[in-house]
Amino acid sequence: MSSTILDPAIAAELPDVLPARKQRGKVAMFAYRHPSIFAGGLLVSLVVASAVFAPLLGTVDPTALAPAKRLRVPSEIYWFGTDMLGRDIYSRVLYGTRVSLQVGVMVALFASVIGMFIGLTSGFIRVLDTVVMRVMDGLMSIPGILLAIALMALTRGSVGNVIIAITITEIPRVARLVRGVVLSLREQPYVEAAVAAGTRVPKIIWKHILPNTLAPITVQATFICASAMITEATLSFIGAGTPPTIPSWGNIMAEGRALWQVKPFIVLFPAMFLSITVLSINLLGDGLRDALDPRMAKKI
Amino acid sequence: MFAYIIRRVIATIPVVAIVALFIFSLLYFAPGDPAAIIAGDQATPADVERIRASLGLDRPFVVRFFEWSWQVVQGNLGVSIFTNLPVSKMIAQRIEPSLSLMLLTLTFAISVAVPLGVLAAWKHGTWIDRLVMMFAVFFFSVPVFVVGYLLAYTFALQLDWFPVQGYTPFSISDPWPWLRNLVLPAAALGGAFVALIARITRATMLEVLSQDYIRTARAKGVSQRPILFMHALKNAAVPIVTIIGIGFAGLIGGAVVTESVFAIPGVGRLVVDAILRRDYPIIQGVVLMLSFTYVLVNLCVDLLYTLFDPRIRY
Repeated sequence: MSSTILDPAIAAELPDVLPARKQRGKVAMFAYRHPSIFAGGLLVSLVVASAVFAPLLGTVDPTALAPAKRLRVPSEIYWFGTDMLGRDIYSRVLYGTRVSLQVGVMVALFASVIGMFIGLTSGFIRVLDTVVMRVMDGLMSIPGILLAIALMALTRGSVGNVIIAITITEIPRVARLVRGVVLSLREQPYVEAAVAAGTRVPKIIWKHILPNTLAPITVQATFICASAMITEATLSFIGAGTPPTIPSWGNIMAEGRALWQVKPFIVLFPAMFLSITVLSINLLGDGLRDALDPRMAKKI
Repeated sequence: MFAYIIRRVIATIPVVAIVALFIFSLLYFAPGDPAAIIAGDQATPADVERIRASLGLDRPFVVRFFEWSWQVVQGNLGVSIFTNLPVSKMIAQRIEPSLSLMLLTLTFAISVAVPLGVLAAWKHGTWIDRLVMMFAVFFFSVPVFVVGYLLAYTFALQLDWFPVQGYTPFSISDPWPWLRNLVLPAAALGGAFVALIARITRATMLEVLSQDYIRTARAKGVSQRPILFMHALKNAAVPIVTIIGIGFAGLIGGAVVTESVFAIPGVGRLVVDAILRRDYPIIQGVVLMLSFTYVLVNLCVDLLYTLFDPRIRY
């Protein structure tokens, strides 16, 4: 199932696939026609690369303590300075990219798959529709961050639990979207024709409905990825997210919180990385929406 | 009209019930046994059992849910594990700063975002339009606490125009200290909200401006400003009001974080402190209250529809 969804991480590689054809004109053409996808994809690729190659990019152990060298300002040795325990912030930020990307991509994937399943069920089995959608309405009525906080309060802080908590808050958005698409597609003449011709429901879903939900879900998944990364950072920042031992952007900022007036760089660098990453994913999402779904692009 | 209002209010009941069920489950499944905590370290298992029975904790889930709901309806949200004070009282003590922050942000965001969106739609395709949209994408992508720190660093630490942190209660005789303390938090919290409203305003305005009646208005010589603000904006009001209602969830969530950044003693700080202490009744009470606020705001939005668009009769 997951291979049919355009994973944001794969989508990020789109511009990189093109040079393989060795036609520079095509790259330029693509960049000209879809500037948001190009710029966003390029930036996302850079972020992904820095997460993957973090050990090779001049980093040291992000959890290594060095109390003698604490709170150094950014310099040639410590590019982003050191925190109050003497840990190298540059290394922590780069390794933090892994946590954030992991949370963003996993939440986008899980929320899309589960939301799609719920949306399809609700759109096809009308008996369930009212109940399922009321439950979704209820979930959506609890502000996302608060629901995630409440769920995190129940469990131990771990990356897996953060992913589950944020996924639960994001599912209703996908479910509603898919249900809307299903309901409008069911009215289409070609679906009515398929029903009249005696096509079984699973085949109708597979042949006619699913392909039409992929474009909006891909776009939605990109935005979910971006918002999940912000939510993770926010949760960690207020102390309800990933455990403090794991270097995530939110945790680095949480640690810099007490000192931000005197040592603003501790908060600044992870904040910059987070903002640029989320910005480029949002750009990519905007571009994909314009390219894949002109109707939706007109509306928003 | 009256039938519509009644129907909308009734339609809210199942949503409220489901929200309540979710949040009740939270405390029900929360780790830690309240009976054991109350009994203390010296208690025997029999003591714990007796306390559990006297508190009614041994009864089935459904029974406890309805009893709890009845207590909530009466305004009883339970007792804090840490301070032993009633949760509703603790929330009441903290409500003013949060309410001030949210109302100020709402006012600020709407009064900035709607003109910006109208401007972008009017200057569609020009650099002004692009600038507004870029601004919108930017504020969508930067978390509220980062905006908060940037603003506090620039305007409080460096320029010293506003206080860095803190809160002064509102007083009618001298509202200036109250406002001075809230300017930066409201600006930080409002950023994403402004972006959201401006985007929808622009999109809806563009759609309305391409309608026949706008062309007619232009043809009979109505000048630009009445067209934008009288003809177009009024017809674009419903989607804008809708997004303000939906965006309120982000505003509530953002307020929780903003209060931490600017050390505002509001409901958000209460819940953040409660997380660190695992004080479940407080978390439950605050989440419940804020969720109900959100449902209520959206009910009001639905009722406002009839005001903006008399055609709406469901």
